[in-house]
Amino acid sequence: MSTIEIRKVTKMFGDFTAVKDADLKVAAGEVVCLLGPSGCGKTTTLRMIAGLERVTAGDVIIAGKNMNELSPQKRDIAMVFQFYALYPALSVGQNIAMPLHYEKLSKEEMDKRVMKVAKILHLDTVLDRLPGQVSEGEKQRVAVARAIVRDPNCFLFDEPLSRLDVELRHSMRGQIKEVLSGLSKATVIVTHDQLEALTMADRIAIMRDGLIEQVGSPHEVFAKPANVFVASFIGTPQMNLIEANFKGYGDGKAKVVFDKQEVTIGANAGVASLKPGKVTVGIRPRAFSVASRDTKDTIDAQAELIEPMGAETLIHARTITGGDIRVVVTRDKRVKVGELLHLVPDPAQTHIFDESGKAVRA
Amino acid sequence: MNTAVRDLPAPAMFEFDASNWKLAILAGLAISILAALALPASLSFWVIGAMAAMIAAVFAINAYRRKYYGGLLVAPAIAVLFVMNIFPLLWSLGLSFFAYQSNQQTIRFIGLNNYIKVLTNDIAAPANWDALINTGMFVVSTVAAQMIAGFLLAMLFAKQFPLRKYLLILVLTPMMLSVVASGVFFTYYYDPTFGILSYAIGEVTGEQFILMDNKLGAVTGIVFADAWMWSPFVMLLVLAGLVSVPKYLYEAAAIDRVSKWRQFWTITFPYIRGLLMLALLFRTIEAFKLYDLVYILIRGGQDTKTIAYLIAEIANEQNKTSEGAALSYVILFMVIVLTNLYLYLANRRNQGA
Amino acid sequence: MANSTSILEWLGFRKASGVTEAGWGHTLLVGIVSFIYFLPVLFIIFTAIKPQDLALSVPPTISPTSLFGLIPDQYVFTPTLENFGSVFSRVMTPGGSPEATGFDRFFFFFIFISSVSVLLALVIGTFAAYGFSRYPLKGNDTYLFIILTTRMLPAIVIVIPVILMFRVTGLSGSYLGITLLYTAFNLAFTIWMMKSFFDELSTDVEDAARIDGSSEAKVFLKICLPQVVAGLAATFVFGLILTWNEFLFALLLSNADTRTVPVAMNQAVSSGGRGTDWTLLASIETLFLIPVFLVTFFLQNHLLRGVTFGTVKR
Repeated sequence: MSTIEIRKVTKMFGDFTAVKDADLKVAAGEVVCLLGPSGCGKTTTLRMIAGLERVTAGDVIIAGKNMNELSPQKRDIAMVFQFYALYPALSVGQNIAMPLHYEKLSKEEMDKRVMKVAKILHLDTVLDRLPGQVSEGEKQRVAVARAIVRDPNCFLFDEPLSRLDVELRHSMRGQIKEVLSGLSKATVIVTHDQLEALTMADRIAIMRDGLIEQVGSPHEVFAKPANVFVASFIGTPQMNLIEANFKGYGDGKAKVVFDKQEVTIGANAGVASLKPGKVTVGIRPRAFSVASRDTKDTIDAQAELIEPMGAETLIHARTITGGDIRVVVTRDKRVKVGELLHLVPDPAQTHIFDESGKAVRA
Repeated sequence: MNTAVRDLPAPAMFEFDASNWKLAILAGLAISILAALALPASLSFWVIGAMAAMIAAVFAINAYRRKYYGGLLVAPAIAVLFVMNIFPLLWSLGLSFFAYQSNQQTIRFIGLNNYIKVLTNDIAAPANWDALINTGMFVVSTVAAQMIAGFLLAMLFAKQFPLRKYLLILVLTPMMLSVVASGVFFTYYYDPTFGILSYAIGEVTGEQFILMDNKLGAVTGIVFADAWMWSPFVMLLVLAGLVSVPKYLYEAAAIDRVSKWRQFWTITFPYIRGLLMLALLFRTIEAFKLYDLVYILIRGGQDTKTIAYLIAEIANEQNKTSEGAALSYVILFMVIVLTNLYLYLANRRNQGA
Repeated sequence: MANSTSILEWLGFRKASGVTEAGWGHTLLVGIVSFIYFLPVLFIIFTAIKPQDLALSVPPTISPTSLFGLIPDQYVFTPTLENFGSVFSRVMTPGGSPEATGFDRFFFFFIFISSVSVLLALVIGTFAAYGFSRYPLKGNDTYLFIILTTRMLPAIVIVIPVILMFRVTGLSGSYLGITLLYTAFNLAFTIWMMKSFFDELSTDVEDAARIDGSSEAKVFLKICLPQVVAGLAATFVFGLILTWNEFLFALLLSNADTRTVPVAMNQAVSSGGRGTDWTLLASIETLFLIPVFLVTFFLQNHLLRGVTFGTVKR
């Protein structure tokens, strides 16, 4: 079975801990994205799975076998590198054929296999060119072709689309997803682009400072972020994270005070067990509705800057005490600079994080 | 960058102006030729020198007025190179068409006779041909030895490993040392009575070992010393190529399970091919000039005279100046042919790629 | 285990972690090869610290220490620093009659003329390199190639007319002649190497300075030069080493009073080598080794540019 599992994997570079106690399971046919800001250890994790870096501690298990001590050659994996790593002196066709030499195939068999993947990735017309003579998008497809030309234990992608322009990226996302869905292999994709992760992955593992913060489906990590970091990292525009004082819970509503404004906002039942004290309230910019007048349930803020984004409008507003709030409203809702807005947060999309930053859920 | 160039009208041909370089060249040449014909050599040399300085000054003024800073900056260097390299070069080309011996006063134009003499004359030519053959042999053997040793050393140092920087110093030192100084010490090591080499071989075989008493031994000794000194040069060049190979290519090759042999030929070799060719060219040209080691180790004995050695002997000791000049142009010609062959091959490579 | 860095790890005792990294096993292999490669130089150093009377001993003494009994006593000598002290004072006897070595004179004059000529070449060459780099002339590459060829030429081709020229002008056998010649000799190398340093600088800062009203001279002196100080130093030292290496011109153009050190060293080796004061020669050579070591250590990154005249960039 094509599966990947890492257990308590740690990587140290000297005194620096790049990855700490990372646990991850990837089932056959599943695509998992490692997502995080640069320097969070996601690429190191991938390279440890590939065997390009040794693990300092923990286990890397591929296809049910512990691979800790095996070199990349012996792990039978395929990988697409960030800079594609095409062999510059070889033609596109020879590049794709490189992994096949190991299997000692006949020339005809090799050509047949190369041709097959070249057709899938629309490379059949450029097989004789050198990597320096093809476009950026074609280079990327050659790298993918080289990975899928054989039948490896699993697929690894290191920032596969980061060098493409926006349009190409969009079409390649679809293509890669399509190719992968036909192969039923365990796949790990490293990316710093959340859109890439949300569209391509079955599950997303969000990393920060060497730690895996949350693993879940794209829907889960968006709708139920486990902590403040995940909440702030996933979703654009960024979620509003307001530091507040939690006073108490009742009637499906939490009473919080930020600076001088006291507001009751809808919250899940889990909040009931929370002791009064410091919390962070997270509300997505799209989760506000604008009420016509001030009530106990509204957050009052003055519109300061208005950014039309096409179908929607992003409003940067300032609360009375100076806190910053981002609100997204539909295009037809006209707001003027300086206007006082009475914002009602949607209880289903309101998150309360305790003092340590963890989400409080029922 | 060059926007500051001002378009002044060029002075008319015979207008007397400090920036009229055409007139300066004309006058300078005329006076030089007159001086060369009329005055004794020791005086005319200085007159010609003064004329060269005048032309240079006029050029400089012209460049400054027109804000040709490039020309102005480059001029002193060109002047020095002209006086010390290019002028002697042309002089020696001229000499090669005359019959002239530096210990006699007479000088006579004889056309190509010097060339014919050094290449075909019954008495002079055999020694020249021998020296040419010796040179060819030294070129092939020293360059081959350096390329192989340098390449292997580079492969050893291509990886990252502890203490690499310090070990590299040990290997690079021979190249940085004076050829003469280390050459002198090779005579010490090769000495039949107290030399360490002879002693070591003598201990094993029980007989006295004299490296330099036959041609093969002498050539081996010279080639060994030369290869020892210059392999680090080849190593440096190859190493530059090896470290320029992106690491991720080797990583990709590891993932693709490419064999070491195939990795070398498909990934590594394309990166070092150009530098190997460059090393080959540099070392071949240097090997053509081989003089110092032959002189220091054996004073040209055991039939090891190279062409450079022979020219120095002919021109300096035997005072056959113009013959020496002709012979030097023969090697210069060979070096030029070789360089162009290299450039041709290198260009064809680039176009093919 | 995961958090502690042991002293062994700190020293590099760890398993190779990347594909292009190797561990101590490789160090051992390269160490042995490098040591063997270095032996001829090591013996020069050992000869320099040998007592004078052991220089010609049979069997040759090869080590200042018995390495805990590993090397038999007959091959071991007691090191001394005496030879260095006597570089400038010892009387040498090539061919029997006592004669002052003259190395004291040669040594300082040689250092003087090589420094002056290299410095001169550096000044002229840096101007030219800046010119070639910033104000490309028509046919720039051709000029540069011709300049490079002047160093590629067999020296023997130009040495004949230079001898004649020097004889005519009375420069023959003078320090001025040798200095001028070495200036020209170092120029090509200086221009190529400095040009490669100038080429690497970003011209944005210079353009900004021009826009701010700096004159061309100011741009060169205040903006460009300070950025290539390391390059200047590297070029200077390489020039010195190249000059110390030069033999043919020095041999043919110097007389008994104006020998360069390489020529003097070669002259000091009498035929057969028996009358040669090897410990003295080794001491001189060891003194010259010091700058060589420093260069190789500190300028390793510039080394390739140096030995290839800047034609190869790193």
